[in-house]
Amino acid sequence: MENTRPLDAQAGTQPAADADSVVDRSKRSFLRAAGLLVAGQLLPQARAGKSSLAEAGSGQKVVVAIIGGVRRAETFSPEGLENIPHLAQDLLPKALFYDRLRNEGVTAHFNATASILTGNWQRVDDWGKLPPTTPTIFEHFRKQLRVPRSETWVVASNKALTSLIGASSASDYGPEYGANVVFPKQLMIAAAADALRGGRTGNMADRAKVEAEFESTLEGSNYEGLGWTVFDAADRLDPRVRSTIKEAIASFVRGVPTSGDELTFLVSREVMRKFSPRLLVVIFSDVEVAHFGSYALHLGGIRTADRLAYQLWQEVEANPEYRGKTTMLILPEFGRDPDGSTTNGFFNHRANEESTRTTWMMALGAAVNRPQVIERPVRHIDLGPTLAGLLGCSPMEALGTRLVELQV
Amino acid sequence: MRFEEKLPEEVREALSKGLLKRVPPTFLPFINQHLREWDYLFPYERQSVLRFLVYLAGLSEEECARLFRDVVQLEERMGVRHWPFSTSEQTIQNASLLARSPYYQEWRRAVQKVFDAVDEHARSTNAAGGSSGNRLVLLVIPRPLPLNAAKVWHKWQGIGRPVKLDLTLSSETASPSQALLGGITSAAGGLLDDALRRADAPSADTWVLDAGSSLVDYLLNRPPSGAHASSGAPAILLGYGRLAPFRESFSHEMNTMRKDLADADAVYDHLRKVDVTPWCPPEVAPEPRTREFLRSLYLSGNGALIYGNSFVEWAASEALRRARPRFLAAHFGVRSKPKPFTGVVLFENADKLNPLPAVDDLPGSAADAEMLALYVWLAATRNEEYLRSTVCLCLAESLSEAYVVAPVEFALGRETAPVPLDRLAASLREWIA
Repeated sequence: MENTRPLDAQAGTQPAADADSVVDRSKRSFLRAAGLLVAGQLLPQARAGKSSLAEAGSGQKVVVAIIGGVRRAETFSPEGLENIPHLAQDLLPKALFYDRLRNEGVTAHFNATASILTGNWQRVDDWGKLPPTTPTIFEHFRKQLRVPRSETWVVASNKALTSLIGASSASDYGPEYGANVVFPKQLMIAAAADALRGGRTGNMADRAKVEAEFESTLEGSNYEGLGWTVFDAADRLDPRVRSTIKEAIASFVRGVPTSGDELTFLVSREVMRKFSPRLLVVIFSDVEVAHFGSYALHLGGIRTADRLAYQLWQEVEANPEYRGKTTMLILPEFGRDPDGSTTNGFFNHRANEESTRTTWMMALGAAVNRPQVIERPVRHIDLGPTLAGLLGCSPMEALGTRLVELQV
Repeated sequence: MRFEEKLPEEVREALSKGLLKRVPPTFLPFINQHLREWDYLFPYERQSVLRFLVYLAGLSEEECARLFRDVVQLEERMGVRHWPFSTSEQTIQNASLLARSPYYQEWRRAVQKVFDAVDEHARSTNAAGGSSGNRLVLLVIPRPLPLNAAKVWHKWQGIGRPVKLDLTLSSETASPSQALLGGITSAAGGLLDDALRRADAPSADTWVLDAGSSLVDYLLNRPPSGAHASSGAPAILLGYGRLAPFRESFSHEMNTMRKDLADADAVYDHLRKVDVTPWCPPEVAPEPRTREFLRSLYLSGNGALIYGNSFVEWAASEALRRARPRFLAAHFGVRSKPKPFTGVVLFENADKLNPLPAVDDLPGSAADAEMLALYVWLAATRNEEYLRSTVCLCLAESLSEAYVVAPVEFALGRETAPVPLDRLAASLREWIA
């Protein structure tokens, strides 16, 4: 796993100039007429003539960065600090740090993420064949405050997730109120598979041709097949979204690190610049290489997540759509199993042990009154209600409770 | 011969009278799968299954109900009878259904209690089985892997001690680990020969696992000598490099079928039945149990298909759990760096997807090997047999050093001056003789 900065590192801190530089008004009118762009659902109101509805709630924004499974031993422990220089040195001094974040549910990816997003421990299929059974924060936020879909996004690397993470099966909720869900790494996998099937594997060794492979997959894909729910018509990608992803791909192909998380970060950053959603959930998963038993690559994944979480925060601080009115949360889904466990230690995350269940969470930005360390145990299901509060929604019907330290 | 015919009379009779009807549904996949795969079980596993069934057969209805009471109650609360739960074999769906139940942890504890009761009974009746004699777990981090002398044993947390070695060899054609296992001189024989010569050695008592192929190649290609002759069961020699056709064919089957995760059990079912013999190297092809061991190893994941070091660690852990060998050597090796754009597409062969030449990741491989060597020893210590009369020696070739966890009677544990290779070999040979 390579850990150097991308070649276009400067681009990492420059927000997009303005909306009209991306899509001109006449083109937007045409797209709307063609039905490819669902006004009021796709475009953020700030860019397309913001209405009072979009300001509903607190007017605050939230970015949640979820890392896969990482143990305290490799992160916030004396030996682990060397793997997280940005979290420990750059961000911790200004953070509200929850020292004991407990996952008391199923320590598998889909259920853990679904529990975070719903405020209830979810026990559905591990592989995302079933949606969460209680409303997600996306549905709660959108339904209650009549917020357009463009305001809520999930950008995820993890292949154990599916588009069903964006909305629940709860009655009176569901996909109508769900988030846009994008899996950039799936695009990378599909592009590699397409190249293999087409006998063009030589292209994967040539950066210019890699970009063409990605774009070809992007143009030709059935997005449901890639696990995406971006917008209502899965077989047509809105031109603005396509351009957003293409720009992320171009940055990715030019960059030195070429992991799935890098692409996830770049797409997330483009989404922030083009759509500035009020709730963005970014899920990194390079650390999950641990399942294949490479400790060094797992540590590399932690270092990548550390750097990318920091770059996300830099984007929040540099982007006028986010600066000063955004809270960012960084947390693992769970830990990993302890050395010597019957479940093969760091490879897996299914032991009922402290090492697997207890991690940490960091909060930054608008809702942080003062930097401090909270030693009281909190739970993953406390996030949903907390996010609802930060976004100005009424409380969710959830087992979790709002974290009182985070207030706007 | 059907497997029932190989079971002791009392178990056969109990099975025919409906023994398994007294067993809760969540136990049945374990029992049924083991009985069906009887021919492929290692001697230790057979003993364990027999012990379990003999114990159950000896219980009255009430005693049996009492033994399983907690499990039955939990199954009721979990609603197992309403699940699409396979009682004939362990499936991904079974595992997933159990793991997401809110009662999963309680269920695991209840299951463990049942096995503890069986073990306790075995101990009290001297039926615990297992081979006697000294044991050796030899872990090798080979020379190309760079290690940091100040930190290399840190994770072992002082359970043993480092011993300086003098690895000067009489022969420059063999690495220290090759010399130890195969013999410093071709005539003398090595640790492997001594392990195989033990009179009471059951089958699957001697394993050599190699993250590449150099060690297994060396051992297989030694010139014939009287010192190498043994009348007992052969060693199980598994080299990740030598298994490339097996891995590639297995991955191909897996990937071509892997259309939908909903089909995961169907994929596994297919892979359980496909004939793997043509994919095996000559030392594995004629050995049904070893072939099936590899199949189950690759089906159970943990990186065994992807990285040589993961293969060694997982194969060692499974061998220790299933066969309880008295001699196990695990030789780690070098993996490549992930390739740009394709390195993370882990279920494919990165070399197939990207023609850029593979580049060795020596520091990364060293970090992997350091951790995984420890994991092999921790896997051993989960089994009672290895808590006594066992020497674990982790050889760091590039540092001319070994970390030794051993009982006090193992003399080498007290050395302070660098120990020459021939003395190291002699001490280990004496230990296992």
